[in-house]
Amino acid sequence: MRSLFDRMFVDPFHHLADQSAHVVPVLVIVFVTLIVGGFVAFVSRWLTHRLLQLARFDHLVQRTGFAGMIERSGVFRSPSDLGARFVQALVWLLTVLFALNAADTPASVNLVRRFVDYIPNLIAAGLVLLLGVVVSRMVARSALLAAVNAQWPAARLIAGGVRVLVMTLAVVIALEQLQIGSVPLLVAFAIVFAGIIFALAIAFGLGARDMARQWIEAKVRSSVAEEEVFRHL
Amino acid sequence: MEDLFPTELKTRLEQIGEADIVVGIPSYNNARTIGHVVRAVSVGLAKYFPARRSVIVNSDGGSKDNTKEVVLEAEGGADDLLLVSHPVQASQRISTPYHGLPGKGSAFRTIFAVAKRLNAKACVVVDSDLRSITPGWIELLAQPVLEYEYDYIAPYYHRHKYDGTITNGIIYPMTRTLYGKSVRQPIGGEFGFSGKLAARYLEKDVWDTDVARFGIDIWMTVTAIAEGFRVGQAYLGAKIHDAKDPGADLTSMFRQVVGSFFSLMESYDIVWKNVHSCQPVPLFGFPFEVGVEPLTVNTDRMIHAAQQGVNDLREIYSAFLAPQTLVDLTNFVHRNGQGFHIPDPLWVRMIYEAAVAYRHRLLDRDHLLQSLVPLYLGRTASFVLEVTESTAPQVEERIETLCRVFETEKPYLAQQWDAAGKEHLHAQPV
Repeated sequence: MRSLFDRMFVDPFHHLADQSAHVVPVLVIVFVTLIVGGFVAFVSRWLTHRLLQLARFDHLVQRTGFAGMIERSGVFRSPSDLGARFVQALVWLLTVLFALNAADTPASVNLVRRFVDYIPNLIAAGLVLLLGVVVSRMVARSALLAAVNAQWPAARLIAGGVRVLVMTLAVVIALEQLQIGSVPLLVAFAIVFAGIIFALAIAFGLGARDMARQWIEAKVRSSVAEEEVFRHL
Repeated sequence: MEDLFPTELKTRLEQIGEADIVVGIPSYNNARTIGHVVRAVSVGLAKYFPARRSVIVNSDGGSKDNTKEVVLEAEGGADDLLLVSHPVQASQRISTPYHGLPGKGSAFRTIFAVAKRLNAKACVVVDSDLRSITPGWIELLAQPVLEYEYDYIAPYYHRHKYDGTITNGIIYPMTRTLYGKSVRQPIGGEFGFSGKLAARYLEKDVWDTDVARFGIDIWMTVTAIAEGFRVGQAYLGAKIHDAKDPGADLTSMFRQVVGSFFSLMESYDIVWKNVHSCQPVPLFGFPFEVGVEPLTVNTDRMIHAAQQGVNDLREIYSAFLAPQTLVDLTNFVHRNGQGFHIPDPLWVRMIYEAAVAYRHRLLDRDHLLQSLVPLYLGRTASFVLEVTESTAPQVEERIETLCRVFETEKPYLAQQWDAAGKEHLHAQPV
């Protein structure tokens, strides 16, 4: 008959040793994977940065107008830096997924599976956001030019508003793709936007009634006058 | 090409068979003025070309004000006049809708096609809103083609010193600098050309671009010069339009004309890079002094437009103007009243840098062209302030000075044109 001492101390120790014999190699694998992955991610970043610089990526991006945005963000030094850090983050992500898979616990395997299933949504949301940035920029610039050529005093404000509107729509669609509740955001935006327009209309129509009348009269008079007296061709 | 012709037009052309002269009149809701133009053309054909078979073609953009009826019913021609020699055949008249994008260029395309189909020796086009047209214009525009083997006759008018500012500030100096022919009114609107040149125009695939709209005039002129056709000018006196010009929105008009010019610079860069001097272009007709209608210009409004443009569009300008050009622009534009001035060298550099940016697509082409409108208005205001007290000959001399600056700076354009392909040397990132 086994002694009380064995049952209280020796058996749990043996049990712990058995479990450790199974878990420690897994932990070692996870640990080594993370270290190697971190190193690979760092090398990937350095390599990508060098390759992008050799391919004159910064110069190409400057022409699209994204370079200014990237530099103004204050987070990335240049488009090459952004690209390199993106590759590093991607390698890190793959490393973590690999490590979780290597852990081979029900929770980690489930997490990896769910994440893999989620990847198409992430890609779609990313593309929507990217498209939103491009489209909002184009549309805002068109609005700015139209407003300046119509000599509207608040041209930049109009362009900024258009940009915010388009980007908000893009964010809402992206959130929809990520299956994160976007309805409250959309409703909040609609309320705020409508409120601003309503407030401006009241302010301009009532608060500055004379100015509104004079401004509209001046616009009508000057456009007619120019049409009638001036030939550009 | 036959697709351009509605069935009714095809039948009519078959009945006519052939013609020596085709006179085209593009129109859109011009019932008020087109009658006078048709009468002047009819009389001109009867008086100056009595032995020639002639056809007047009204190419219409879907007018809803009876333009077609006015064209077909307008009096004129041999019956109303006492002529020394009577026409063998009265001129035929056609009024037909054109196909394609709505615009003057599409209307011209149909006229070219009719000229080709009728195997015309000479073709003349005149605007439908002219108030100063006389029968003599038809002789002056067609005769050099029929008798002296010219292929292209551009108009030469006296205009008010504030009139035609896109012509005087950009298109005339650049046409002359780049292509070496001193055509004073390259976008005048009235032209004479040979059947051979009309057929050449039809071969081009440009009818879904701005050439189909206001870009047609400069496209015709540059194509004729750059492809080596024989070019002349005809002195027509004064050009007076109807006051209202439907669809003449400045931004679209500017975009179409200047965009077409920049586009032609790409097509013919081998030609203009090898032009190093300017040749005078023969002038037909007898130049005489004419009175022109007075014009008033609101310079304050234009100055305000330029100042707002420089303030609000700085980001866009920095994408295609050299840093020093932008600094100079900012300094000059923010002087108010009589101090406001955009000097010639600065203006020329801005236009050349915009042309380079257009070629290399440094930003969206439409945005680039639209962003030039405030600069153009600023330059126009500067010019108006400068010539307020000047006489017509002094204004011509002033435009001559501008042309010389364009010519002096041409090497800069050529250098940037090639250099920017490899690396855009001067622009800052947006």
